[in-house]
Amino acid sequence: MVILSVMILNKAGGLIYQRDFHEGLHKLSSNDFLVLAGTFHGVHAITSRISPVHGSGGLEVLESENFRMQCFQTLTGTKFLIFAEPHQPNIDVICRRVYELYADYVMKNPFYQIEMPIRCEAFDRHLMAYLKPKQ
Amino acid sequence: MSLQPPTSPFVPFSPNPALQPGTPSSTTPLSIAQKPPPVSSASLRYASTRRSIYDRNLNRTQRAELSKASFAFLFGEMIQYAQKRVSGIQDLEKKLNIQGYSIGQRLLELLLFREGRSAKRETRILGILQFIAQTVYRHLFNKPADGLERSHDKDDEYMLIDHEPVVNTYISVPKEISLLNCAAFVAGIIEAVLDGSLFPARVTAHSTPTDQYPGRTVYLIKFEESVLEREAMLAGGKP
Amino acid sequence: MPIYSFYIFDRHCECIYTKQWHEAERYQSAAAATARRASITSAPDGVSLPQAPGRLSVQDDAKLIFGVVFSLRNMVRKLSGPDDSFISFRTNGYKLHYYETPTNLRFVMLTDTKMSNLRAALHQIYVNLYVEFVVKNPLSPVEHPGGVGVGVEMFEYGLERFIKSIEAE
Repeated sequence: MVILSVMILNKAGGLIYQRDFHEGLHKLSSNDFLVLAGTFHGVHAITSRISPVHGSGGLEVLESENFRMQCFQTLTGTKFLIFAEPHQPNIDVICRRVYELYADYVMKNPFYQIEMPIRCEAFDRHLMAYLKPKQ
Repeated sequence: MSLQPPTSPFVPFSPNPALQPGTPSSTTPLSIAQKPPPVSSASLRYASTRRSIYDRNLNRTQRAELSKASFAFLFGEMIQYAQKRVSGIQDLEKKLNIQGYSIGQRLLELLLFREGRSAKRETRILGILQFIAQTVYRHLFNKPADGLERSHDKDDEYMLIDHEPVVNTYISVPKEISLLNCAAFVAGIIEAVLDGSLFPARVTAHSTPTDQYPGRTVYLIKFEESVLEREAMLAGGKP
Repeated sequence: MPIYSFYIFDRHCECIYTKQWHEAERYQSAAAATARRASITSAPDGVSLPQAPGRLSVQDDAKLIFGVVFSLRNMVRKLSGPDDSFISFRTNGYKLHYYETPTNLRFVMLTDTKMSNLRAALHQIYVNLYVEFVVKNPLSPVEHPGGVGVGVEMFEYGLERFIKSIEAE
């Protein structure tokens, strides 16, 4: 399993978590990442507007030559962006699991302030153990 | 067993209170019981069977389990509530300790009651520590404690080790207050059990992370001098 | 598998060609869905437009689509370098395919979600239809402001046939 990077966006499109797990994507400054997240938030909203069929949601999978990005939006509006290699299978399962870890180690942490950047060491630890297990 | 609704809040849960000797000053509640039922008993909520949870046998919920998630949310709120009303880390740990303390006091009573005839009053330090590491821990967390050690340099200090305290499962302490360990709550429970068994002690929780167990916590138990004196006497009295 | 629409954008970011397919069926299903909802919420009478609520005009749609592919293309390049290129994205309702020529012409196609990658097909449209019938057409202008000279008969005919062959696959 090769997951390049994970980002989490809050309801307002603010980047609250970004972390690379494998080499493959450029290292951007935190400001660039914030801009990127804001742009994506807008694009995501538009993609459901330009749908040729009735009742489409926003962007779910984006493919490029070098990577594949899955966007999982929760019912509460939080977005999980998972960047993986182009032919990585079962990304939706991975999204679910990351969401579960978020619900456990971020939302149940009494020191986390909602909608603010995530600085939870237990979340980092478990995410790392899941996405980059030690061989 | 009588099915009459309780007439006063002092009605004991046991169907046959006479079989419990040694209940101190049993006359006082009885004299109250003879008075007309106080209003407070009417405010208790009864199920359709006219029996409240207070009428249930205490052993009934012995193996009952609790959702870890709901505990995590409740505990989180407790910490946030306490955090708004304290000036520092020590203050916060003290608040958590006090919250745990009142639980421990009641818990000791319940566990001894449940042990039934085999229950005994511990008189030795090792005995009471084993009771905590085994019975109390199993009841609270469904596992025994991971270790029990005696301090090398101080006679009055013992260490109870937990590799991953259940209460801390979802908690990441921010770097600014990294000294805080929310297991102070459990330390309060342990302290109350010790105090209740007449082993007055001071219990504190300390984080001692290792690579394998990043959440490893040591409960430092510091007994009062009187406990050690008694222990020495009991040890000396033996052949 | 149905193909819904096709757009060409020139290097001035202007939409120079658009074509829609299966419009009638799509609007019918949308109208049916609206009607169902209207019967519940009892919308005012006289709303018999064949359009789904909030549906934009073709021109506005084209502008939004260009905005989306432009942003996503920049995002991809920023994240993994200038040699990477954006290929497609999909939602739960449709899939958008993208192809960009070295001359900055951009081809966009919206299809059903299950459609496999159409990048090669878009490339073929560029090489076999656009270059052949539009660029090589002596009567066609070099630039196509407002789409002048793109929708010529040969191009239309070739495109129609090509789309049919993809849909039939």
